[in-house]
Amino acid sequence: MDVVVLAKQVPDAEAAIEIKGEGAKLEVEQKFTTSIFDEFALEEALRIRERHGGRVKVITLGAGKATEVLRTGIAMGADEALLLDNAAFLDGDGYSTALALSRAVGKAPCDIILCGRQAIDDDRGEVGPMVAQFLGLPHVGGIVKLDIGEGKAVAESLTEGGREVVELSLPAVFTVQKGLNEPRVAPITGVMKAMKAQIPRMTPEDLGLSAQEVGLAGSKVRVKRYLPPKKRPPVKMIDGEAAEAAAEAVKILAEVERVI
Amino acid sequence: METVLIFVETKGGEVKKASLELLSEGRKLAQSGRLKVEAAVLGPLPGALVDKLLPYTETLVHIDDPLLEAYTPEAYATALAGYAQEAKPKMILAGATQTGRDFLPRVAVLLGCGVVSDVTAVAWEDDPITCVRPIYGGKVLTEVSPAAYPVIVTTRPNTFAIAEPGSAPGSVVERQAGLDAGKMQTKVLRVEQKQKGKVDLTEADIIVSGGRGLKAAENFALVEELAAALGGTVGAARSVVDAGWRPQEDQVGKSGKTVSPKLYIAIGISGAIHHIMGMDTSKLVLAINRDPNAIIFQYANYGIVGDLFEVVPAMTAELKKRTGA
Repeated sequence: MDVVVLAKQVPDAEAAIEIKGEGAKLEVEQKFTTSIFDEFALEEALRIRERHGGRVKVITLGAGKATEVLRTGIAMGADEALLLDNAAFLDGDGYSTALALSRAVGKAPCDIILCGRQAIDDDRGEVGPMVAQFLGLPHVGGIVKLDIGEGKAVAESLTEGGREVVELSLPAVFTVQKGLNEPRVAPITGVMKAMKAQIPRMTPEDLGLSAQEVGLAGSKVRVKRYLPPKKRPPVKMIDGEAAEAAAEAVKILAEVERVI
Repeated sequence: METVLIFVETKGGEVKKASLELLSEGRKLAQSGRLKVEAAVLGPLPGALVDKLLPYTETLVHIDDPLLEAYTPEAYATALAGYAQEAKPKMILAGATQTGRDFLPRVAVLLGCGVVSDVTAVAWEDDPITCVRPIYGGKVLTEVSPAAYPVIVTTRPNTFAIAEPGSAPGSVVERQAGLDAGKMQTKVLRVEQKQKGKVDLTEADIIVSGGRGLKAAENFALVEELAAALGGTVGAARSVVDAGWRPQEDQVGKSGKTVSPKLYIAIGISGAIHHIMGMDTSKLVLAINRDPNAIIFQYANYGIVGDLFEVVPAMTAELKKRTGA
């Protein structure tokens, strides 16, 4: 079973983010981590290999810190990595990003493609289903359990208010979410190996794409401006003994805010 | 005239809230006279649903096929894209529900168009339209516009107000999707619907969430009682889900669900950034915590510093007194 994991290095949830140039750009504190859902994808890929053999390959797209996610993958146990490395790939929307990734996946045959439900920076959650459609493959979104059989898989996902079990043929794409597994901590030998690993790179040309089709140029939707979220007014504390404060809170919700 | 196509999601004979919100917006767009609005339902369409939907739309397109009996992203995407290729809408709108966010990216690829996901506001009059969508778990908002039409937009539940049904019902147009069974590779084996009648967190108007401050799983009864008295849904912080006190589907936060209710009550939740990222678009927040320095108070409209084991039951009792229950 050959598994490809699409992963992304993202700013840490605690990283400070500032809007600069009157909404023209973001300045993000240099604190990065693997997008949490992609960690579950990496772990699942390794478990599939442990059970069924084959190879695990991690692919990412980006510059600078992006390679870190590939080294994390190798440190955890992935066999190989691939970096889509070109300025033209950057600042894409879901569409142009998924197009490039799907071409990279399509370079070599594989049975299973895993990625996180969404990256926790852009929160788009579009790339997994789009990669599946670009490759003409089925997908299952937000899985919490995956059983691999001969040429097919049974996947379980959480739905709104329940769960669903589907069977589908391989190759297929699965986007994963919390509950699927507990990601392992990379062993020290893995970390050493990752530090030394040579990471192959590909350009749009290597994928048979023009610079116009990828990244910002290939985007179908564009970010025009960054804005701060609406700020809540300062908190009003409701004082008094428990019973008093509780009664006052109910009164405020019912009569002042009229939300109940 | 240019058309807006609204994907209507139904579940158990009910129209999903995000779909009703969009139909309400769609009616306003249609009344402006600039756009024609169509609603599309995929798969089984019982008569009761037709009655519910027609007051909201001039045209209800019913796209049917045996393969649309149960949801699969492949079949839904192929069927909706197939109709869109023929009807050529300027925009396709859908709720940013789990289903909407799952299959509309595939529709975008089939149509070669862009998608703006999980939008919390839209300026329809802008040309091209401007969508507001939160990124970094709501720490920043972006204004996003399509580079070209058509475009697909999914909107977060609780974004728009639901209008009263109109008095001039529209009509149903029947379509066959004509899906090729040989090409559909996904088969639904089982669908388990737990807690029937429970409103999902992502759609709830009122959410009462509990955290570590509750000290033990059984103390969630206090949260449940308050939620029941308010007609709300119970949520949970990550720590209590990881501790096994609550199931994963109850988790509000970065690795759980993102919610925007009218009222969010946080009980015994300290306010870790992971939690804030899942609830900061709530309209009104009330936090109850014994620690006056708890971070959650920075993200709340109202706060009570006190012992939740006293405050919460007192609130439940007060509510029952008011409603005479």
